[in-house]
Amino acid sequence: MAELAGVYAASHGPLIIRKWRSVTPGHQQALGSAFAELGRRINAARIDALVIISPDHWVNFFIDNLPTICIGVGDTHGGPNEPWMMEEFPHRTLPGHPQLARHILDTALESGFEPSVSHRMILDHGFCIPLLKAGIAPLPIVPIVFNDIEPPFPTVARCYAWGEMLARAIVSMPGDMRVGVLGSGGLSHSVGEATMGLIEEEFDRECLAHFQRGDPAGLCAFLSQRLPLVGNGASEIRNWVAAHGVAGGRGFELIGYSAVPEVIVGCGFAAWNLGTHG
Amino acid sequence: MRDYQLSRLFFDLQDPAKAAEFRAARAPVLDRYALKPEVRAAVEADDVASLSRLVNPYLLRFYFLVAGMPDDEFLRRIRATGADHG
Repeated sequence: MAELAGVYAASHGPLIIRKWRSVTPGHQQALGSAFAELGRRINAARIDALVIISPDHWVNFFIDNLPTICIGVGDTHGGPNEPWMMEEFPHRTLPGHPQLARHILDTALESGFEPSVSHRMILDHGFCIPLLKAGIAPLPIVPIVFNDIEPPFPTVARCYAWGEMLARAIVSMPGDMRVGVLGSGGLSHSVGEATMGLIEEEFDRECLAHFQRGDPAGLCAFLSQRLPLVGNGASEIRNWVAAHGVAGGRGFELIGYSAVPEVIVGCGFAAWNLGTHG
Repeated sequence: MRDYQLSRLFFDLQDPAKAAEFRAARAPVLDRYALKPEVRAAVEADDVASLSRLVNPYLLRFYFLVAGMPDDEFLRRIRATGADHG
């Protein structure tokens, strides 16, 4: 059976690419170091396939058909189509892992989830900024889109349960392979709202402390109450919650956190403690 | 509440070719969408506050990037909606 080789989280944000030259040297160093450490850990984990949970930023879906959760089951995914990402990201396509994706889909359906599927998903900056900035070696990707962008959102508890299901799917996947999971997004930020540019650092640090301690019930209660109040981008923390569920609610090691006004995101990076492979 | 036609316009303008066409001449592009008169007027006036009530905030942000509004100007205008929205 497959093995869960690592569970990680990283923030993303268009300005990390578009306005990198405007980021202060100190913040460039902090973000660069955190991305590099994340990449070092993922590359060292000798992962055969990486499941990435990220929102779709209006690239694949629109309000006439907006899935809550969608799995990319194709053997190939499209690379980012945002012009500013296409200038930086070297790949126009990325390999999928249809067998693993299909197994996750089947496990989900057997577990009371009804995700939609995409046979040709475009992986936007949410998926590809961590791959690019962390220098993650090319490997098959199973993309999972959570709707973190347009209400109604999945509940925080449901995201955690999805993560628990995802862990069961991975360790029941036939064959000898090592699978990693990366939650992409968050922490606090606000896009296209009156609070755009504000970073709720106090919230971010409290949120990170919950993750570090484990305590899924406390984390879900905290986020259910606070997420609606700290900017629409914070909704992406749902992807971290799913990663927390994959890791069985074990605490994580914080690789780095920086509130970076130049990219208008509270940027966090983490690796969960999985025992022998943490 | 989402205005479907406005949302569709903003969504479609993520296509670089359509965005270039829009930047060159807005009217022929706007003619293809069944926008309510007051919504079209808000687009033509770059009325961030009015448009912000009608579309997803991410689409709003993408649109004004595509439309060529400088980041600082968009930030100034969208922050000003805080008082408008109460």
